[in-house]
Amino acid sequence: MKEILEKLQIKDVNIGACAGQEDWYEDPAAEEVVSSNPTTGEPIARVLQATERTYEQVLSTTVESFKSWRMMPAPKRGLVVRDLGQALREVKEPLGDLVSLEMGKIKAEGHGEVQEMIDICDFAVGLSRQLYGLTMHSERPAHRMYEQWHPLGAIGIITAFNFPVAVWSWNAAIAAVCGDTVVWKPSSDTPLTAVAVQHIANRVMADHGLKGIFNISIGRGAVVGERMINDSRLPLISFTGSTQMGRRVSEAVARRFGRTILELGGNNAIIVDEDADIDMAVRTILFGTVGTAGQRCTTTRRIIMHKSIARELTDRIVKAYQQVTIGNPLEEGILMGPLVTKGAVEDMMAALDKAKEQGGEVIYGGNRLPDYGEQFVEPTIVKMPAQTEIVHIETFAPILYLLEYEDIEEAIHLHNEVPQGLSSAIFTKNLLTAEKFLSHEGSDCGIANVNIGTSGAEIGGAFGGEKETGGGRESGSDSWKAYMRRQTNTINWSKDLPLAQGIKFGD
Amino acid sequence: MRIQVTLDTSIEDLVKEYPEAVGFLTRQGIRCIRCGEPLWCTLGELLEEEGVADPHQLVIALNSFLQKRD
Repeated sequence: MKEILEKLQIKDVNIGACAGQEDWYEDPAAEEVVSSNPTTGEPIARVLQATERTYEQVLSTTVESFKSWRMMPAPKRGLVVRDLGQALREVKEPLGDLVSLEMGKIKAEGHGEVQEMIDICDFAVGLSRQLYGLTMHSERPAHRMYEQWHPLGAIGIITAFNFPVAVWSWNAAIAAVCGDTVVWKPSSDTPLTAVAVQHIANRVMADHGLKGIFNISIGRGAVVGERMINDSRLPLISFTGSTQMGRRVSEAVARRFGRTILELGGNNAIIVDEDADIDMAVRTILFGTVGTAGQRCTTTRRIIMHKSIARELTDRIVKAYQQVTIGNPLEEGILMGPLVTKGAVEDMMAALDKAKEQGGEVIYGGNRLPDYGEQFVEPTIVKMPAQTEIVHIETFAPILYLLEYEDIEEAIHLHNEVPQGLSSAIFTKNLLTAEKFLSHEGSDCGIANVNIGTSGAEIGGAFGGEKETGGGRESGSDSWKAYMRRQTNTINWSKDLPLAQGIKFGD
Repeated sequence: MRIQVTLDTSIEDLVKEYPEAVGFLTRQGIRCIRCGEPLWCTLGELLEEEGVADPHQLVIALNSFLQKRD
């Protein structure tokens, strides 16, 4: 562990407010947060959280730096992000390990998360030469009309524990090439990965003679989070977290006419049709439900299976669950680590009680695993008689609900009945069924897949969902537009002043 | 007891100090952890949002539950 921390410049006590290599802001009044290893419960290191004063220092630098950063040509900004990607390649191993150490996902997923950071940097470098605007034909003679995209400002990024570094990079790399500066509030459960990323970003900024482009303000939601969402110097808040918190963020930011990108809760389902390839479905379901110990936004939480294959599929899923190796996420061969906090374990157990009260039958798991550690649980499968109240709720834990259907209309109805709308999938070999699922009478989610699962999205697509998932889009496709402001320009190169719509005024 | 829980206790402090409070509250239909993260509000604000008729009584019951666990 010591070696990982040293490679990433993590000390016993770290400062949680920073705007550059020479700009770590200290305050004697800062409260400490201890980051603990969820596998053992032992402390890893401490972070001095941002205070009102140090938050202000970070924000001032972020806002000030925007003035010069926005004037750097976008392809030149792309070169800074290219170097950030390169710096991440050099520390992929220790940073991936730290992700596993601090939040408990397995090593392969921790390293995969850093790869995702590298991928989005590569994407952003290309994007830096493609921030295209449209041109339009003016209805007025000798006029030219077009639109251009300008940098937006200082952007607030608030992330959750489950993707402690990737979600920052989805936002930060894109925002940076768009000409924005960013301030990041990571989860209080994963402050060390944020400090490590800040050190990496500091080195890249310093190499280019820059500061204040990538910044952190680590602190409690009630202090730093509330300050950010109410701070009119941040025209955009990108928030990843729960629906309930998203509502609070949305209301606060809307009150000051700011913008939000909301990536909120999911309640993702896979429909397994009667003609599905069961082998492929089972492998996909296992990764989708047990991966990251059921703590992904895109975790598969519901299987909606055709009655005719329900028995076989259930047996096969149970057998697959029996093969899941649980333990220290940094050890090779382990497929599932601990939950992030003791509170998450309590939440899971209470949800299972509710499921049983509502007629659910636990057919696999359902227990704590104290021999492994206080935060280990069994991945759990619950057969539900109907889509009851608890199934409508996203419990951030490895609970899988099984439901049955008789025809595809019923399956789609069950699928869309929940309030969330993030990710979805269907397993079928029937082209008509697949197309129906992807059509406007099919899945109501932001992500809809055929013959692959709900999780493991690539950075090239726009990531996000509908309904209570918040409607925001991050990462690929044209998500960059959220980080810029659109300006429509009309240039008159004639010697007349014709009005639009043919209006004559005082002629 | 580690701390006395009141309506002014922040959810962030509550779940850190008393993770077992999460289970107690979830069983009452009040979810203070969402997406694995604690809400940013106080317990009082959460109970008000959830429409709890007698928040004071619930806090007494919560403290009693936590005292037994200690």
